[in-house]
Amino acid sequence: MKIILSIASTTVGEAVRRKVLLVILLIGLLFVVVAPALNILTARQERTVLIGLTLGVIQLTAALIAIMLTVYMVPNEIERRTIYTILCKPVQRWQFLVGKYLGAVAALGMMIGFMTIVLLITFSVSQREFDPTKLAPLVKGPLMNFFQMSLLSAVALMFSTFVSPLVNIFLSSGIYMLGTLFSPLFQTLVESPSVNTVTKLFARIIHWILPNFANFNVQNPLINPGQQLVNEQLYYITTIGYAFFYIGILLVTAVLIFDQREV
Amino acid sequence: MKINRQALIGSALGLLVVQGALSQNFIFPLWKKNYSTDKPNIGAGLAPDQLLVALAGFREMIAGILWVRADSFFDSGNYDAILPVIRLVTMLDPKQIDVYATGMWHIAYNFTDEESRSDRRYIPTALALGGEGARQNPETYELFFETGWLWYHKIDDDFGKAVKWWEQAQQRKDILPARQNILAMAYQRNGEIEKGLNMYYSQLDRANEVMKAQTDFGARQQRDTTENNIDTMLVRMSQRGLMGPMSGTTNMGVNYDTQPPFDVGFSAQVTVIQPRVIRVRCTWNVRPVGTRIRMVLRDADYPNAVAGGMNWDFSNDVQLDPPRDKTFMQDQLFVRNQRVERKIDMSRDPTMYPFTAERYIVEFYYNPRSAPPHIQDKFGWNGEGFTDKNFINKTVRPGQTVMYTSLELTRDQILKLGDWRDRTPLIQTKNFRESDKFRRDQESIKIPGLRTAPVNPGDQRTQPLR
Repeated sequence: MKIILSIASTTVGEAVRRKVLLVILLIGLLFVVVAPALNILTARQERTVLIGLTLGVIQLTAALIAIMLTVYMVPNEIERRTIYTILCKPVQRWQFLVGKYLGAVAALGMMIGFMTIVLLITFSVSQREFDPTKLAPLVKGPLMNFFQMSLLSAVALMFSTFVSPLVNIFLSSGIYMLGTLFSPLFQTLVESPSVNTVTKLFARIIHWILPNFANFNVQNPLINPGQQLVNEQLYYITTIGYAFFYIGILLVTAVLIFDQREV
Repeated sequence: MKINRQALIGSALGLLVVQGALSQNFIFPLWKKNYSTDKPNIGAGLAPDQLLVALAGFREMIAGILWVRADSFFDSGNYDAILPVIRLVTMLDPKQIDVYATGMWHIAYNFTDEESRSDRRYIPTALALGGEGARQNPETYELFFETGWLWYHKIDDDFGKAVKWWEQAQQRKDILPARQNILAMAYQRNGEIEKGLNMYYSQLDRANEVMKAQTDFGARQQRDTTENNIDTMLVRMSQRGLMGPMSGTTNMGVNYDTQPPFDVGFSAQVTVIQPRVIRVRCTWNVRPVGTRIRMVLRDADYPNAVAGGMNWDFSNDVQLDPPRDKTFMQDQLFVRNQRVERKIDMSRDPTMYPFTAERYIVEFYYNPRSAPPHIQDKFGWNGEGFTDKNFINKTVRPGQTVMYTSLELTRDQILKLGDWRDRTPLIQTKNFRESDKFRRDQESIKIPGLRTAPVNPGDQRTQPLR
């Protein structure tokens, strides 16, 4: 465990020093701060647009950071040959991968946390809303984003064990988009009477296998409050559990592939 | 430590099964209930850059931008372009109540021909949009009210539907007192007079409660309006002979205003004077101004048509394209001096009136429930004081007394093709009598006075005063 934590802390240090990630973070923060100025887009829905826009910015920025952070982690170590100095020590390959992953997740958590703080300050100032009980629900969005991005990082890490970073960027982005869009599409397919059984079965299999990123998009009731939610807490717990299960699958797959790979 | 590959593969497969079961059986059903926007096909009309931005989580922002764009279309009168924008905005952000409300109004009212007749083929679309908006925003009264208003004002028929929507609007906490009044009116139009009165009384109780807490102008006005509504309604109920039957007694032989029923003596003639241009003549014995007879000219097999109208809410799907190859013209014929003479020109709007079918039905329909109060004072809320020797009908609207008749035209007749090229197609009801009345005094309206000769010889109440 000590070994894993040591690799993780080194990874966090590397992540916060990477300029490309800091630039993405800075742009994201800038958008969050200027979001109140875009209220002119709608007459009666200023609050809606503000929350929707800022949560969207955090999600997009977090996704970019997750992908850019993870896709280069393993290939860079191999390319720079620093991996040899690590693996020649009593460090197992799985420990190296898990450590790298935990480091990436920790760095991601820090960045999402920072953006959330800026979101809360921006929202408080622009809406003159300083009641913590009314601000607290806003945190749900970034919290679920964190688990969503942890899952995305696991996807990118798994791919990084056998494809180049450039290919990995497209692969991970594609999986993310598919995983975000497939639930609504699946819903339509399953509920439509005109779709035949074979297509429905095929859709169900895809829906079973694909990492379901849409599960973590809980912003609708935050953007439009007042909706009646069913078993909200239980939903959060099971969705986080789902993230852990799926991350487990991806890490195991990554370990299996990386263990066979010649470095 | 050497890894056990088989154990790892086994555990990965096990986790795959567990996550799938969790996702399919628990998370997805809850997600659908709590978080789904129920609009997966938003990409259908978005440019690729807009779609990308929308998918990235900025649906509300894109919806806002599109709605601002729609505003410029309104300004330039480019109404057709607004439709897809409305649909996109409501798909992207189903919580945009204003867009639903404006969209419904726009679809139902703004598509008109050169003579300002609405394209009724769009009404089901407007209703479907309102229904969707209400489902998406069940916490507010607004779209329940707006959909009810379409039934009450635009469709002006089947008032039970308006009542249904407004009763749902009443259940929402945010409904404004001024918006509550209209449900009582809808009850009256639907023939539920006692319910209408009770509604006013419950509103008065509420207004008095509000007055105890606040005595501002708005609260006082609400109470005064409700009191005035109750007074007016009680007078009408008394004049129209409802008090006796409602209290379990009879009218004790008193001739109330609604008795005996008045024969409106409807007759009609339709002449095709040019291709796609018709002249309509009708007789209607009612002297006071305010009667509008509904006329429909439609394909004989128009989908979901019913006598004098349409099954307007036949679908919940928002179909932006109406049946473009079908014709459905509806007009209100304004009666003055006891007759109608109207030229209806459909030649300038071929997209609205394509006339592709072979056979057409011309319908004339009058429902006393839609009549203004001064005419209802004679006809009653439910047509108790209304009759027509030839065309009284109690079947096309079950439980209601209406005037209804229909005539038939062919495509060749309307377009003056074939044998009709040099002839003038003319169809009329059997009781129609040509009269020079139709050619005289079309522009002036003769207002009946107390010294006017009786129209119905049997009706003693219209005897001239001496």
